[in-house]
Amino acid sequence: MITALPLLAPVFFAIIGFVYMRSEMPRGSAQLRLGEYAGLAAMVVSLGTLVLLIANGSATSPLIGAAEMGFAARIDAVSVTMLMLVSFIGWVVMRFAVTYTDGEAKQTRFLGWLSLGLASVLLLVTAGNLIQLIIGWGAVGLCVNRLLLTYPERAAAQRAARKKALCSMASDGGLILGAFALAAAYGTADIATIIEAARAGEGGGAAILAAGLLAISALFKSAQVPTHGWLTEVMEAPTPVSALLHAGVVNAGGFLLIRFADVMLLAPGVLSVLVILGGFSALFGGLVMLTQPSVKTSLAWSTVAQMGFMILQCGLALFPLALLHIVAHSLYKAHAFLASGGAVAQVASIRRPGPVAIPNGKAVLKAFAIALAIYGTLGLLLGIDGKSAQAIALGAVLVMGVAYLLAQGLADHAPEVLTRRMAAYSVATTVSYFALQSIAIWLTTGALPATPAPGPLQWALMVLTILSFGTVALAQATFPNWASHPAAQGLRVHLSNGFYLNAVFDRLTGGWAARSR
Amino acid sequence: MLTMVERFSGPALEIMAGAKNAAAHIPPLWSLEATVAVNPYVGQAGEPLQVAAARLARVAGVRTVPERAHYKAKFVANELSVADLEAGLAEVPELAATVDDLIAAMDKTVVAPETLPTLADLAEEVSDINWPDFVAERIGHWAGGHYDTGQALWPAPKERAWLSWRSFAQRDLTPEIFGLTGFASRVASMSMSARGALTKCAEDMGITADACESYFHTLLMRLGGWAQLASGEAFRANLKGDGNNDITDLLTAKLVFEAALLARYKDKIGCEWERVLQEHAQPIVPSEDDLIDAALQAAADHAAARVLDQTLAQPVTAKDDLPNVQAAFCIDVRSEVFRRALEASGDGIETIGFAGFFGIAAAHHGFASDVLETRGPVLINPGATSAATDPQDSDMLTRVAKRVTRAWGRFRLAAVSSFAFVEATGPLYLGKLVRDSLAQKHPSLGVGPAPALSDSITLEDRIGMAATILSAMSMKSGFAKVVLLAGHGAGVVNNPHASALQCGACGGHAGDVNARLVALLLNDADVRTGLVEKGIEVPAETVFLAGLHDTVTDEVRLYEDDLPAGHTQVATIASLKQALSMAAKVTRTERSARLPRATDQAAVMERAKNWSETRPEWGLAGCSAFIAAPRSRTMGRSLDGRSFLHSYDWRQDKNFQVLELILTAPVVVASWISLQYYGSSVAPDAFGAGNKLLHNVTGGIGVVEGNGGVLRGGLPWQSVHDGENFMHDPLRLSVAIEAPREAITDILNRHAGVAALFDNGWLKLFAMDDEGRLGWRYTGSGEWVSLRGDKDAPLIAAE
Repeated sequence: MITALPLLAPVFFAIIGFVYMRSEMPRGSAQLRLGEYAGLAAMVVSLGTLVLLIANGSATSPLIGAAEMGFAARIDAVSVTMLMLVSFIGWVVMRFAVTYTDGEAKQTRFLGWLSLGLASVLLLVTAGNLIQLIIGWGAVGLCVNRLLLTYPERAAAQRAARKKALCSMASDGGLILGAFALAAAYGTADIATIIEAARAGEGGGAAILAAGLLAISALFKSAQVPTHGWLTEVMEAPTPVSALLHAGVVNAGGFLLIRFADVMLLAPGVLSVLVILGGFSALFGGLVMLTQPSVKTSLAWSTVAQMGFMILQCGLALFPLALLHIVAHSLYKAHAFLASGGAVAQVASIRRPGPVAIPNGKAVLKAFAIALAIYGTLGLLLGIDGKSAQAIALGAVLVMGVAYLLAQGLADHAPEVLTRRMAAYSVATTVSYFALQSIAIWLTTGALPATPAPGPLQWALMVLTILSFGTVALAQATFPNWASHPAAQGLRVHLSNGFYLNAVFDRLTGGWAARSR
Repeated sequence: MLTMVERFSGPALEIMAGAKNAAAHIPPLWSLEATVAVNPYVGQAGEPLQVAAARLARVAGVRTVPERAHYKAKFVANELSVADLEAGLAEVPELAATVDDLIAAMDKTVVAPETLPTLADLAEEVSDINWPDFVAERIGHWAGGHYDTGQALWPAPKERAWLSWRSFAQRDLTPEIFGLTGFASRVASMSMSARGALTKCAEDMGITADACESYFHTLLMRLGGWAQLASGEAFRANLKGDGNNDITDLLTAKLVFEAALLARYKDKIGCEWERVLQEHAQPIVPSEDDLIDAALQAAADHAAARVLDQTLAQPVTAKDDLPNVQAAFCIDVRSEVFRRALEASGDGIETIGFAGFFGIAAAHHGFASDVLETRGPVLINPGATSAATDPQDSDMLTRVAKRVTRAWGRFRLAAVSSFAFVEATGPLYLGKLVRDSLAQKHPSLGVGPAPALSDSITLEDRIGMAATILSAMSMKSGFAKVVLLAGHGAGVVNNPHASALQCGACGGHAGDVNARLVALLLNDADVRTGLVEKGIEVPAETVFLAGLHDTVTDEVRLYEDDLPAGHTQVATIASLKQALSMAAKVTRTERSARLPRATDQAAVMERAKNWSETRPEWGLAGCSAFIAAPRSRTMGRSLDGRSFLHSYDWRQDKNFQVLELILTAPVVVASWISLQYYGSSVAPDAFGAGNKLLHNVTGGIGVVEGNGGVLRGGLPWQSVHDGENFMHDPLRLSVAIEAPREAITDILNRHAGVAALFDNGWLKLFAMDDEGRLGWRYTGSGEWVSLRGDKDAPLIAAE
């Protein structure tokens, strides 16, 4: 029964959530801190679960339910990682929210929905049974909707909430149908059993159908283009909600794909679609972000992009890296949202040290060459040979990123000290990248399937990825040299509008409907 | 450069004049990087409250006076007396009512004023689209990019606002998607000149000269903070002698949408539009409720002055001999609490109130910074240039460090590289989340190397500056051993409105740079020698010590390293430090009564570092009086942190030059502050910055609520409201000056802009008598009325 320990984490948050919901708490009272304590307790639970995992290895707790359906905790590298992440960010968000919402008329209810949202996420990430997964999945959507409507009178909040509700419905539908397909393919609702069977290659056509449905569910959950509209409008809710999204809400789509990685591998066609859609969202979101003047909007577009990149990693069967990406991105983005009040000071500080040195074409090429050299050297030193072709291809993205960093140090007007420091940062970034990837792969060995050798389609997709990312990276690095062209101005206008996908979505769903009088 | 010669018809010129008049109604706005309080009614200063109320009700649908229940509560609590109501009635002679009528009116609920509809409103009623919000969002989307100062890595091209909008709108397909077919091509066919486009639209829409000012004002109010920012651009350009037409450009953009909506729905809304135009053409006339509101507000102002007078009437504690320390603080109301505590906690400490820039308005370069900061009141151009330099640290290396940080920031944000950033460094944010959650990040306030005046300022000029400063501070003799010049600032984290808590007299910056510049100037041996010739003898052992009062923690940082080597006041400074530390404790205790959740000293201190704190301190909320008099008139009495205190001794003021300065600079700044709090409290939708929980910083300069739309100027809801009650009582500032009435009147006669504030009741003016009480009230147009009948003989003015 000790293996049911992880379930305590959602239980804590659920109990506290219902306590909040039951009655208004006096302003500034100690009870308001209960949610924070739930976060601390959940963190203790997650550490305890980690100990269990290290001591006893992966396990699924006995089922609380009937007919193989109900609640059961799964303990493996994936669930424990997510459990630790969500508990930690849950603690941060609850602690932040108590002070932040002080003086709000509906403070207690808001904290209640936050707690219930966290309970739902914890339920879904610890799920060892499809039923629990579905319940958690659906509940997350409901809680986020209530949180989006923290100020129900705001027309823009209603608009975002309506879009989110539609996406949640599609996502929930995909998961429920996918669960049926899984049950049909494997004759069980026990996730570990399903994974084991899938790893053995079982499942047949029903498994491929399941993979497709799970992918659909994940795309809607993770706000992939063109279903991203609600995510870029989520600042209609108070800041802690934006941070909460990064504690397993918006990245739940990725979690689902990672959870059922073995099933996904049975459907290479589905994975290829994920590469294309994820890669598109990654580039699209990244480009739109460049044009956004508002800090939270910019961060939200960045999330669209990062979620796309994570889906791309899943599509390339790099599941450990996708998990790493979820963790790294969640920590970064939760902080970025909560600290977004510092944007005034941050933007001001950009201007102080004088104009940005603009690298010319030669410097950019040089930067790319040096970045490649750093990557190659460190890769050989740290063991690139053991890596899959997909991982090496993805490393190309790092090279391009590092090249951008280097290019700024190589601009003609950059002083030599700057060049040296940028080089040092580049090396440090690359080392950290390799180290974290190796750790992620090592930690998830066994829990997650190894990346299979690429077939012709995968090779084509990898080339496409490198080419498209490379083009954007090059355009970015040489940006000041072409941005003033009139054609670029038109592009900027359309990009800043997200190529109107959201506007069309709004038009079709009555997003700007006249207010009733 | 190509200049266009445009010719306009008579009606077109009238439309342009209407646009200019409408623009004059809009208050200016500063970037949040260094914001200052602005009187939101600055465009209505030429008319009394009831007219402004009627005007703003029509153009914005907002109240300009608190709800009736506010006065009822005061009346029930006996804070508002029958005599106050009588005095209030007397201020609104147009109102034929009795005190009983006023009392009865307090129970009436006045319906929220309704603005005249725009075409977007009319179009919404006959279509299925929320056009008002849609247009606001579209203009906000463009304006955010246009006014961005560095958030977006791909900035919008820099060009004149009208051309920038035109270029944006002729490409933007969003209006087409929502059924405004042909909008882009309509924009593309518009004149390159905003005035041409404005007059063309007005002509097409049948806007008449008599309706245009009121209609344009309505459109500008719908643009919210964007119009205010554009008005600010013009204000700042004018100060430099340049011109700026952003506000007309924005108005034109709004008008183009209106014209397009009229064309789209003409058959359904054409008649209604005619009616709206006719209503706009009507003169602004206050309703009876407006007049009652004005009388009630005047009564509340009287009540506040009455309470102030009672405080001033309390007996004074006797004054010591020459003090050991003279401590000068900013006139800011927050200083009053601290000054009172400091005087009580230290032996021989005298305090002085003076505008916190201490007389040097500097165009200042921070250390290793290219950005020129205006460290002085925004109403004047800086009179000096200065820069921070550090002999121990290389400017170049610091710059490189900052550039590395910047390059790293770009790496974090750029397309493609942002993925590498997350993969390689995301986990580091675990540490940052822990650090910030546990409030371990300290705000950086008042740190940095000493500033120095530019070498181009000659010794002679320096001596002149020093003499002017000391005269203005009424400090020409009787110097103590240590003269503390304490600026103030607020150390906060993660707060977009941090600059609203800083020193207004220092242009929305902390006051450390100005205090240090002045202290360095006055410690300069050559300057001291020069001062002797001007009749000001500063004893050799006297040192001027710069300090910075942190208004969140009440700790005072002293800049001892700036003092001349080998000074002899070590012991005095040591005991000053003790007194400061005691005063800080007392002040925190007093302030904690007003701060939510401030249960003890530590809880007050903690607010500076808490990244989730929306109410780190109350700023100047509650300010209600401005007193220019010797400190002996107010010493030893609690003014509750609600009074600006300017030290002033008219007997030392030959030709009343200092008085003129006080009335035209600090009083005006104080009025901007007090009316900003007033506006953000009574009309938060129009003049407040909205809910901090939804703030989304745009362009590094301002905030929008949620997704976008209008920029929000003014103060956030959380800065004027504690969640249960308003922390600011909307009152018009009582300005009490101890000086002969003739001198005051004479100065008002020469400064029409200042006189308008008093004549129209936006400020209440009192002359203090020789007992330090409110002796006379200014009733406008140079007239005074005695507040104590038997003492009508003008005691001060007789001298």
